Amino acid sequence: MKFFDLYRKDRWPHMFCPGCGIGTAMNCFFRAFAESRLNQDKTVFVSGIGCSGRIPSYILADSLHTTHGRPIAFAGGIKLANPELKVVVFTGDGDLGAIGGNHFINGCRRNIDLTVICINNYIYGMTGGQVSTTTPFGYYTSTTPYGNKEYPFDLSEVAVAAGANYVTRWTTYHVKSLTKSIKKALVKDGFSFVEIVSQCPTQFGRRNDMISARQVFEWLKKNSVLHKKAHTLVEDHLDLNLMGKITVGEFVERNREAYTKVIGVRK
Amino acid sequence: MQGNEACVEGALYVGCKFFAGYPITPATEITERMAWRMHEMGGVSIQLEDEIASIAAIIGASWTGTKAMTATSGPGFSLMQENLGYACMTETPIVIVNVQRGGPSTGQPTKASQGDVMQTRWGSHGDYETIVLAPNSVQEMFDLTIEAFNLSEKYRVPTIVLSDADIGHMRGKFTVSEDIKFIDRKYCTKHVEHNAFICDEGLVPEFPKFGQGHRVHITGLTHDVSGYPKTTDPEIHAKLVSRLVKKIRNHSNEISRTEILNPKADTILVTYGSPSNSVFEVLSENHNIGLFRLITLWPFPETEMKQIAKTAKHILVLEMNLGQIYWEVERIARQAGCQKVELFSKIGGEIHKPDEIIKRLKNEVL
Amino acid sequence: MVTVINSDYCKGCNLCVVTCPVKVYKEGDKPSSRGYFVPKIVNVEKCMDYKRKKGEKKKCELCVLVCPDQAISWSNE
Repeated sequence: MKFFDLYRKDRWPHMFCPGCGIGTAMNCFFRAFAESRLNQDKTVFVSGIGCSGRIPSYILADSLHTTHGRPIAFAGGIKLANPELKVVVFTGDGDLGAIGGNHFINGCRRNIDLTVICINNYIYGMTGGQVSTTTPFGYYTSTTPYGNKEYPFDLSEVAVAAGANYVTRWTTYHVKSLTKSIKKALVKDGFSFVEIVSQCPTQFGRRNDMISARQVFEWLKKNSVLHKKAHTLVEDHLDLNLMGKITVGEFVERNREAYTKVIGVRK
Repeated sequence: MQGNEACVEGALYVGCKFFAGYPITPATEITERMAWRMHEMGGVSIQLEDEIASIAAIIGASWTGTKAMTATSGPGFSLMQENLGYACMTETPIVIVNVQRGGPSTGQPTKASQGDVMQTRWGSHGDYETIVLAPNSVQEMFDLTIEAFNLSEKYRVPTIVLSDADIGHMRGKFTVSEDIKFIDRKYCTKHVEHNAFICDEGLVPEFPKFGQGHRVHITGLTHDVSGYPKTTDPEIHAKLVSRLVKKIRNHSNEISRTEILNPKADTILVTYGSPSNSVFEVLSENHNIGLFRLITLWPFPETEMKQIAKTAKHILVLEMNLGQIYWEVERIARQAGCQKVELFSKIGGEIHKPDEIIKRLKNEVL
Repeated sequence: MVTVINSDYCKGCNLCVVTCPVKVYKEGDKPSSRGYFVPKIVNVEKCMDYKRKKGEKKKCELCVLVCPDQAISWSNE
């Protein structure tokens, strides 16, 4: 499978800013999708609003670009009505952590067979760089001109607590591990959650003394630490997330039976 | 059987295979009955985290080619507005049952009202058209639920069954007529990757069901016939939105249904939903009064209304709100030549009693 | 096998320059037709020789995976 077998070549070059991590996430997703030999005609891609919401419009498959925060609810309907379809959700930190938080935690709890890929760039990119629920403490955005005074959400830890079957987080720097994890998430039964911490040089970097994509990229690299090692590094502040660092790795792997199987959906 | 339960049976009879809902008085019986009846019929019924998720899930389900429905009341219906607009924009056939209660806000959960009439029409932002049906009995809860599915499938538009607490909780029997027609949406037969929204003079494009290799992109953004977002071109937006509106307005004569008695009478009572039951009682004793009952609220049966207003001298609109459909009636009736158009509104949860109607008519007419 | 940068897609973010373990790429100095500074390929032979593991002749492909604009590919010239 070549890259443009899965993506719409007629829409290239895509609309994302120079250096945006979404392109990297798309590469990794493509690798994982091609390697897991899934049928693109039996896969539906669902997304919400925001930069991440535009990904399905580049994918050559049935895709549903929905309202802000609701992709998990739409995706659940698709999966339950036709369990033969593989359903992949692309979402962002604003979409998933703020307006769609309720659908996110209940989606994890309900454990419908979905693969949710969240591109977390710490900011609302499309609307011009407003603070998000994952913006680190003290960082600047267009609505926190004196620095963010709220502590951020740790989306992966939330997913673990809410009962998702598979939870993993990587940054766009960890392309190899990320690809491996997406592949695992795609074949995993039940609700699997992949958080991709990504650089937004245009909105996040620019306001936080990281003018180029390169600088944000290196900042991600410098601040990420493997989840397994994180416990020894715990600091007494929560500025980046619960660990004070971008913890990466696989957070949980459970084998709860998927909702569709529990209720025995017939078709 | 209760009205709400008849509604469930109607949906299952027409082949609804997916239901998502959230408990809310006075529509809860629909969610409850669906939970066990849908299982028997081999479909999926699920209670979700809120009404927003419920309407989202049925839109998703509808894209797999499944007939899908949700049921709610005022507060839940308010939450659904954004996705109602989404369903209009993406031309997704869904059915929403709104068992109205007193509002605004939490209002009177157990009391009937007709306060959501304008909301069904203008609740979501932007220009759009939906189809709204107003049942007035247990029988019509069954019949109009079927009708709602047929219309939504035919025109690819969200259709709303606008019931109220009185009809929902009314007990009665219904008969299943032998000549009930089922309409299914027209599915694409050819590969439509770049032409998902091309249509003929009927203005309703064929439906590219998910999972058939059509590889279509569906978005709530302004899109061209390929389905790709084209948000900055004024012409594309104008063309798309006018088609969405026209596909209903141009067919309003086929869609609209009314019940008319004594059309040549001088006094005409205009009503819909539960107050019409009182009006029937008034009519049984006063043969000189006419009835114009709206079965389809939107699109408004303008042609029939005009016809009536040409000969009528006095039109009295009975509503359980402070005047919503009244303005539509007044506008049309005045154009047609009837100058005396009045509103008899009653809010608080009770329907107009027959003697109240007679008293009102005596004050005004006799 | 030669690395190619598609200048129609490249937006000049230079992430390939950061990522490449053997410094094959160098920041560009001339704008492309779309106005972006497309990186130059300077040490292509280093990439040819680079092996991810001993005895394994597989490209690391980090640049291909990281490139946000899908501009980097391999050509059989």
